[in-house]
Amino acid sequence: MAALISLMIAIPLIGAIITFLTRTREQARLVALLASGISLVISLIIFSRFDSSISTIQFGESYPWIASLGVSLKFGVDGIGMPLVLLSNIVIPLTVIFAWGETKEANRFYGLILLELVGVLGVFTSLDFFVFYIFWEIVLIPMYFLISIWGGPRKDYAAIKFFIYTHVASLVMLLAIFSLYFNAWTISGTPSFDMFYLLKNYSVIQSPLLKDAIFLALLFGFIVKMPAVPFHTWLPDAHVEAPTAGSVILAALLLKMGGYGLFRVILPLLPYSGSPAKLITLMAIIGVLSILYGTFLALAQRDLKKMVAYSSISHMGYVTLGAAALIPLSVSGAMYQQFSHGLITCVLFMSCGVIQHSAGTRIIGDLGGIAKHMPKLTFLMLAGFLASLGLPGMSGFIAEFLVLVNSYFTLPTFVILALFGIVFTAGYHLWAMQRAVFGTYNEKLGHIHDGANYEMASMGILILLIIFFGLNPNPVLNMMTTNAQQLLKFVALRGVIT
Amino acid sequence: MNYNLLAPEILLTLLALVVIILGLLMKETSKNMLGYVSAAGLLASIVYILGNGMNEAASFFYNSLTVDPLSQVFKLIFLIVSLIVVIASIEYFRDNRNQDEYYALLLLATVGMMVVASANDLVALFVGFELASMSTYVLAGFEKKNPSSLEAALKYFIIGSLSSALMLFGMSLVYGITGSTNIPAIIEFFKSNPMVATSSLDIVAMIFLVAGFGFKMALVPFHMWAPDTYEGSPSVVSSLLAAGSKKMGFVAAFRVLVLALVAIRIDLQMTFAILAIITMTYGNVVAISQRSIKRMLAYSSIAQAGYISLAFVVTTQMSIAGGILLALGHALMKGGAFLAVALVGYMVLSDNKNAKNTDDLGNFAGLGKRAPITAFSLFVFFLALAGIPPSAGFVGKFVLFYSITVAAINQASSWLLIVVIIAILNSALSIYYYARVIKYMYVLPPNGEKIKEPVPYVVAILLAVIGTIGIGLYPEPFIQMAINAAKVLGV
Repeated sequence: MAALISLMIAIPLIGAIITFLTRTREQARLVALLASGISLVISLIIFSRFDSSISTIQFGESYPWIASLGVSLKFGVDGIGMPLVLLSNIVIPLTVIFAWGETKEANRFYGLILLELVGVLGVFTSLDFFVFYIFWEIVLIPMYFLISIWGGPRKDYAAIKFFIYTHVASLVMLLAIFSLYFNAWTISGTPSFDMFYLLKNYSVIQSPLLKDAIFLALLFGFIVKMPAVPFHTWLPDAHVEAPTAGSVILAALLLKMGGYGLFRVILPLLPYSGSPAKLITLMAIIGVLSILYGTFLALAQRDLKKMVAYSSISHMGYVTLGAAALIPLSVSGAMYQQFSHGLITCVLFMSCGVIQHSAGTRIIGDLGGIAKHMPKLTFLMLAGFLASLGLPGMSGFIAEFLVLVNSYFTLPTFVILALFGIVFTAGYHLWAMQRAVFGTYNEKLGHIHDGANYEMASMGILILLIIFFGLNPNPVLNMMTTNAQQLLKFVALRGVIT
Repeated sequence: MNYNLLAPEILLTLLALVVIILGLLMKETSKNMLGYVSAAGLLASIVYILGNGMNEAASFFYNSLTVDPLSQVFKLIFLIVSLIVVIASIEYFRDNRNQDEYYALLLLATVGMMVVASANDLVALFVGFELASMSTYVLAGFEKKNPSSLEAALKYFIIGSLSSALMLFGMSLVYGITGSTNIPAIIEFFKSNPMVATSSLDIVAMIFLVAGFGFKMALVPFHMWAPDTYEGSPSVVSSLLAAGSKKMGFVAAFRVLVLALVAIRIDLQMTFAILAIITMTYGNVVAISQRSIKRMLAYSSIAQAGYISLAFVVTTQMSIAGGILLALGHALMKGGAFLAVALVGYMVLSDNKNAKNTDDLGNFAGLGKRAPITAFSLFVFFLALAGIPPSAGFVGKFVLFYSITVAAINQASSWLLIVVIIAILNSALSIYYYARVIKYMYVLPPNGEKIKEPVPYVVAILLAVIGTIGIGLYPEPFIQMAINAAKVLGV
């Protein structure tokens, strides 16, 4: 079974094409569920056979493609990619189940969701920079259509802003990739886009200025996607206008591509860059700024979904901070934060979707006391909010705890600043629940009903997973730690940190 | 001499004559048959060239025509474009009573382009140019009751004649200097007489040749005819002009200019770089404000001509291979896009017989629902034109930009890198106007019922889509083919 990964990418792609061709929504959603389900099964097979104790690439595949330019189709997973592959395959089938009732142009809707799966799986498994970039761009197009066709009132503005913002960032990243490519080309004379080969040859670049320029261009490409303050402004707009399924995929998977880039590309380059100490400080500042700024903006939001969107920015700040701290456990904590936030944020956005659908509004002030009429939703939503604010026993706690405790060794000032964020994080979650869900019922809402069974099932499964990974993080944390240690060996060799 | 290698040209010439004679004898209602006959002839020629292998080499008629990988690649481009245009024309001109003349002219134009592709002598080159131009002047004005078609034809004719005159003048100067019209002989002469090669008279001759070819390639500042002609001509003819006959200028320029530049060693790098940058930037910027899709495509093909002419800047084997690849890709993408616009015109006219400006942007609203195959194909062509992988447009641009970067590193010249960066920024800019049409097609609500897309159009368009994506997914053999073709020039 050598070609498991390419099979895992090919099946959603074929599924997407079939979905586009189906005539009824029943067929469309069934095909989408089947295709993403098969993909999930394959990823579980890979996961069960994965060896967490080694940091090298496993399940590697390689096929020649454009030999004259040195492009080949190389796929494989290691401790950095594997958890995210699993996450993608968990999130997409659950999104399909959650959106089981979609009526507007269902075949295109489910087809685009499957294409997103193809894109993110490609990003998390490609080991050829060229192919990586293609998948990175493929992800944009279905999301543009998801927002601009199924979105809210300001969908045109939000979709084009999302597209242009992230596309410009990708182009900057592409320039850096080409610099690496031509750098390796001048050394060996043979063209190659192999990711590890290009990253290895980064250290040979003479000029520190060029090194920093390449590093910053790549960093820019990734942190816009995450997004980190001050490049976050596309995210709230995109989230507010996107349909619930779009928001879920955007927050749970697309943002993780940025974080993945930090671990896959940025950390191996960091010790060889022109001025590592300054760049570490820069990343730490971006991380803490995202945590604090995201938190305070979330506190101020009137729209529940916008609040969740800002909370994503704040949670992704822990990823940047943990990566910048360069301690094995802080880095693996940051990786775990990616995985855990992917699960938790799904629940939050799904809650917003159910409330919007049922009550017709997401404005916190216009809601109130809906717990009485929506008991099932309230239970799941509360669980999701508690997970998001970092309740022990749930996956978010482990991730943030690891990041904060371990980052203190190298970045004490930043950690102390970030701690302030935690208080307010708990604050805005609880305050929003209190105003929107509990309290006296707002009679103006009229009669509202609880979420549909398929919606509740999808959210329930996510909550179970959050608790499972909160009590037993080892299945994914072990492989992350193996790779984090491997990454940091080189950092220690360079003596960047003591 | 083995004339078998010229079989496609001979076949198509005879076929053109047969089509005219048959047209005289046939009833008007059955003239549609002739389209199928022409398509069969073109297909047979393509199969023949592919079957014979691309690496044949021979020369004919006292070395005035040559068959080599370069000529074969461009012949294939011209034949493929003509084939898809003929297939689509079966529907476009279904009820036209002058169909016989249309197909005969189209075949003759194709023969003319093929002669240009294999011309090894300035006179043969000029004859080929004139054969193709004369035929396409008539084709551009084929809708004789439509004033804009007449305007298109007249403009094309006047400017085309001017450019032919300039070219001929340049050629006569070259003949006067060297005493030969045979291209290899001219190069030999320049090599052995470097003093003459750099004389002012020679530079004047080169300038006239650049201007003459520049008109055919529609490089700025020789581009003024292109938007009006492409907009006014019948859409299928625009497809032939933009995708096919424009490439004539490029193959001629590859043969004459590249060789001459190598021989003369005048440093024209900067000149060509500026010409290319101005052309691509102008094309892209002006395309943004167009509401007529045919005009937008015309400006975008000016921009593409700018990218292709980057091949002249460094004139390495790889850069010329990139230019050839982009020419091949552009033929498929632009040819297909114009045919899709023709189908939209058909759709609009079936709503309302008296509709004007059928290619207005507004008519593309909701095309994804009204004509799904056409809309999807246009989507593919637009992304390919913008250079998004995996597509022929991407492969061409990538090889081209790659070759210039490599040259920049080898020459350690930073301004060449700036040229590449400007070209990439231009590609990014072009996404804006393509994306706008895509938005109209998929996001806006349709303003009419779903239509049945006519089979001939669909076949032609899908052939172009398959070519565009096929080259993108499996570019290796095409890159090798282009490199082999570039090797002929010995740069």
